[in-house]
Amino acid sequence: MLRHMLVARGIDEEAGQLQKQGAIDLWLSCQGHEAAQVGSALAVGPAPTVFPSYREHAVALLRGVAPDELVAQWAGRTFCGWDPRRLRFFPYTLVLAAQTLHGVGYSIGQRLQGREDFVVVYIGDGATSEGDMSEAMNLAAVEAASVLFICQNNGWAISKPAGEQMHTSVADRARGFGIESVRITGQDPEAVFAVCARAAAHVRERQAPFLVEIQVERIHGHSTSDAQELYRSPDDIERARATDPVTAYAARLSGLGLVDADWFHLVGAEIRDLRERLIKEFAG
Amino acid sequence: MSASRSTSLAVSINATLADLMEQRPEMLLLGEDVGRLGGVFRVTRGLRDRFGADRVRDSLLAESTIVGQAVGMAMSGLVPVCEIQFDGFTYPAVNQLVTQASRIGDRWNGQVRPSLVVRIPTGGGIRGVEHHSESNEALFARVPGISVACPSTGEDADQILRYAVTIGSPVVVYEPIRLYWRRNTPARDPQPARSATAARIVRRGADLTIVTYGAVTNEVLEAAGALATEVDAEVVDLRWVAPLDLETILESVARTGRLLIVHEGSRDVGIGAEIAASVAERGFDLLRGPVRRLAPERRPYPPADFEKDYLIGVEQITAEILGMTK
Repeated sequence: MLRHMLVARGIDEEAGQLQKQGAIDLWLSCQGHEAAQVGSALAVGPAPTVFPSYREHAVALLRGVAPDELVAQWAGRTFCGWDPRRLRFFPYTLVLAAQTLHGVGYSIGQRLQGREDFVVVYIGDGATSEGDMSEAMNLAAVEAASVLFICQNNGWAISKPAGEQMHTSVADRARGFGIESVRITGQDPEAVFAVCARAAAHVRERQAPFLVEIQVERIHGHSTSDAQELYRSPDDIERARATDPVTAYAARLSGLGLVDADWFHLVGAEIRDLRERLIKEFAG
Repeated sequence: MSASRSTSLAVSINATLADLMEQRPEMLLLGEDVGRLGGVFRVTRGLRDRFGADRVRDSLLAESTIVGQAVGMAMSGLVPVCEIQFDGFTYPAVNQLVTQASRIGDRWNGQVRPSLVVRIPTGGGIRGVEHHSESNEALFARVPGISVACPSTGEDADQILRYAVTIGSPVVVYEPIRLYWRRNTPARDPQPARSATAARIVRRGADLTIVTYGAVTNEVLEAAGALATEVDAEVVDLRWVAPLDLETILESVARTGRLLIVHEGSRDVGIGAEIAASVAERGFDLLRGPVRRLAPERRPYPPADFEKDYLIGVEQITAEILGMTK
């Protein structure tokens, strides 16, 4: 898991750099979300089809999207740089929450045709305000669709804090639709993995939807066009950085002696190579 | 004047849907009350009993849910034919149609080609309450990636629906409510359209071309028939407003030299404006006089007591034809 998190961090950092250099047009950082994404994606395994929002870069890479395929749409080359069907990782959807209904409809369609109907829908806290999210939760509930909703709540809908977006948790809201749910923190990928594995088992065994709300921290702005310093206090940004799940997990595994300097060196070399290939592709 | 008693539009669409469902196991129907009730206009009557509740699905009362899940179903290989209950209730589904259904093919680099049909009962003259008599086809005609059909006979609806479920991109089909169960309609030239996407010349004439579509096609034919001894009008039923069959229009205008466009949707920035502009660009020298449009002014559809003032009637069409040809 740590390797996936480090790779995602490295690609994310490089894409941010490339955007600063003008080599790509826009980047939406997933820094701070890595434990939530890697833990959940590994927990559900390769079989389900993933309907992402647009910040699930760690999930994408884990599913086999190549870094240049991931970055291509942010460099104006395409609307989707990878093969969605083969990877069962469907295109990013930029209109908030639109993919939630697609995910439920896809699951129903797959079930009607006697095929694998397990679907994972990723969504952010801001997008849960969209009507489509409420409609999708209700539809999934009444159709008993095999859909696992994973809401990464990073506390901010661009500049609107979660406290001003909702007076309840997303997990509570799911229960209002008759969907079982759980709310967890997203710093420890092992904890996320354990909870999402149970959630996936629920979806499979009960043939019913489930929602996992994962509280994460957004280390950077919503996008590279967003200056979060304008609306977020320096203390809050510093607090988000201090809870960085990647450095925390790396330190923990090092402390346990599960990874050593040689391992970090090898993974570091792999990431450097991936970053260099990105530079060559987009800034070459 | 002659009239034909044919199978009604509703009966014809029901038979076409049943036949398509029989032939294509991947097709399903999805909409509010389309199953147990057979739709508020009974267009899907009996289909749930015949094909089962899995394939004739009573949807939630949420239009975005209908189209949004249909997009997902299309991604799974199904061919959903959705029904929106009334034209005026289409708006909650506009986001899913415009930003999603129309763009999925491009977003997937052609790997998914969603055949997805949305049937929408449309138009007035039925004493409908607010929102139940509208004509918003021009809204979708502007959207690249969405085809928009406006059949005015069962025969045309049959050809259009059979084509729509095969093309791998979304089609919105507007079905005139006031024609669903009407059986006496003015006779039409029997020659079929050149193709499933072509307009159809429903009356041959030499003095004036009238381009129209939807329910008002019948009022145009009545007006043309009433004036037959004075003016020999040609009537083109577009059948599709996006993409437009400009070739048929231009060929007709080349024969007659005059063009009148009649539609029930409001005039400003409407389908008629697009036709007038296109004919001006490509056929200006064919014209012997200015292109004219006859369509309701830009205002909300009124309460039922006032709809006769809003709709384009036979008298107005007759007056316009005479004004253009005298």
